[in-house]
Amino acid sequence: MNRTGAFAWPYAAGLIALVALPSLATAFLAFTEYSGIEAPRFTGLDNLRRLASDADLRYALLNSAFYVAVAVPLRLVIATGVALLLHRRARGVPAARAVAYLPSVVPDAAYALLWLWILNPLYGPLPLLLDALGTGSPRWLTSAWGARSGVVLMATFQIGEAFVIALAARRAVPDRLYEAAAVDGASPFYALRRITLPLMAPVLALLALRDVVVSLQASFVPAFLVTGGGPNYATRFVPLYIYEQGFVYFRLGYAAAMSLLLFVLTAVIVYVQYRLARRWLRL
Amino acid sequence: MSVVVSGARKFFRARRDQVVALDGVDLSAPAGRLVVVVGPSGSGKTTLLRAIAGLDRLDDGRIEVDGRDVTAVPPGERDVAMVFQEYALYPHLSVFENIAFGLRARRAPDVDELVAEAAAHVGLGGTLRRRPDQLSGGERQRVALARALVRKAAVFLMDEPLSNLDAELRTQMRGEIRMLHEGTGATTIYVTHDQVEAMAMADHVVVLRAGRVEQSGPPEEIYSAPRNVFVARFAGAAPMNIISADLVGAPDGVASIGVRAERAVLVERDGGRFAGKVRRVEFAGADAFVEVEVASESFLVRIDPSDVPGAGEEVGVAFADRDIHSFDRSGARLP
Repeated sequence: MNRTGAFAWPYAAGLIALVALPSLATAFLAFTEYSGIEAPRFTGLDNLRRLASDADLRYALLNSAFYVAVAVPLRLVIATGVALLLHRRARGVPAARAVAYLPSVVPDAAYALLWLWILNPLYGPLPLLLDALGTGSPRWLTSAWGARSGVVLMATFQIGEAFVIALAARRAVPDRLYEAAAVDGASPFYALRRITLPLMAPVLALLALRDVVVSLQASFVPAFLVTGGGPNYATRFVPLYIYEQGFVYFRLGYAAAMSLLLFVLTAVIVYVQYRLARRWLRL
Repeated sequence: MSVVVSGARKFFRARRDQVVALDGVDLSAPAGRLVVVVGPSGSGKTTLLRAIAGLDRLDDGRIEVDGRDVTAVPPGERDVAMVFQEYALYPHLSVFENIAFGLRARRAPDVDELVAEAAAHVGLGGTLRRRPDQLSGGERQRVALARALVRKAAVFLMDEPLSNLDAELRTQMRGEIRMLHEGTGATTIYVTHDQVEAMAMADHVVVLRAGRVEQSGPPEEIYSAPRNVFVARFAGAAPMNIISADLVGAPDGVASIGVRAERAVLVERDGGRFAGKVRRVEFAGADAFVEVEVASESFLVRIDPSDVPGAGEEVGVAFADRDIHSFDRSGARLP
């Protein structure tokens, strides 16, 4: 064992204890019935059969699919847009960058409780503001689409990391290219379309990939703390459903099977996305 | 189409100091001419070119293209094309799309034919589908040229286009650019720090120093009648020898004199204008240069390399009256 390898040991140990072993345990439990009290009992493919016929799971999958399909593109567009607005050095820009990043450093639980207040139908500032403007507001926490939109809205403000990465990608495009384009008679919009976005595309593709993985799981905290999965299960996303099955009803075997399913689905989505990105970007 | 710059001033603010990049520059490039702006780094030559392109705003002064005042006109509407020092090729686009970029931005018709024509013009045949990172330095240079050519702009601006090439390729491309210029007949303003390049290519040379024009004229004139000591030292393969006038007993008012290395000869110790000691000899192929030390000044003489004196040898240096350039105390040329 060389010395450089020794530096990897703390991380390797963490990886084994916190990722590899639990994953193996999950894969094993997926084929058992396990309440957490008695020893797990092997049940073969029973859990998988149940996955196929579970209507609640199907609904949770649809909720999650909606969340990922809306939140991921929205977050990417906002992060990229803010990065493009704030890439220049100018008065006020450093402060604006800090403002764009800050919501992402708020702890998830505190952030969720804050939104519980913001969206409160009786005294929340957002409904009050929208009422004052006369536009009326969706019933944020009391209707199915209102609650789903609320959870997406929460996600669109936590774009700090994507923003910083998009900012770095934009700043990596040399000024010379824009000067060449200006002399060639290209409008700023043309330069954006033909230079900026194509050159940022590999980074944006990576961000999208990462955000899909994160979003499939990150919907847990707002659903748990803000909407409670409701109303009428409209925001019961897959992670919350797994949590309920595993830790409220102690069906740990079935929860493990669903975790396995979520893992496989994530892998498939990421793979398809990766292939598409490779083809479009000719990487 | 002609380009006329008059009274160009440009300041840069560096912290609290104000740096003068252009200090009242006048430049005139008659239609169809190749004008080379040459000067040491920091002389303002690139700033001048960027101002003509419209990439930098002048603080004062005026730029005209074909009689039209373009001082406040955006770059894309000046009818100029530019070749950048680092080429500034679009790394994600093929050679074809790089050349086509300006045409597409302007929604020009016949893109395919125009691109093929420009590519053929600069000798880029089979590389059109490759990307810039798959090209050699020389090929990238050609793409940059083709990208400027394809628009058939009235004015070409070139910012040290050859500085990233190796010496051999540089000499070759220098000839090709000159030929291209003659082929297109477009007015060209070419910036370089290399005075050899300037002399070899230019119809007209503008020598710039510290944001001011030191001299402007045909290459022969810059070489044979430098207006001051700076130009005399700057122009020519070897800098002109400038020595104190006392050494040769020049008339009153003459502070220093200049003689080119190729106009001086080595003679017997007492047979020349002055005598000195050989400090070193530099072999340069067809010629050799002898550095003669005289009263703590040094003087280069070009000689035939078949007859080289040894270091430390005492020699005389001779030259004709007509080859003496006289300068006054301020460094300005005397008649």
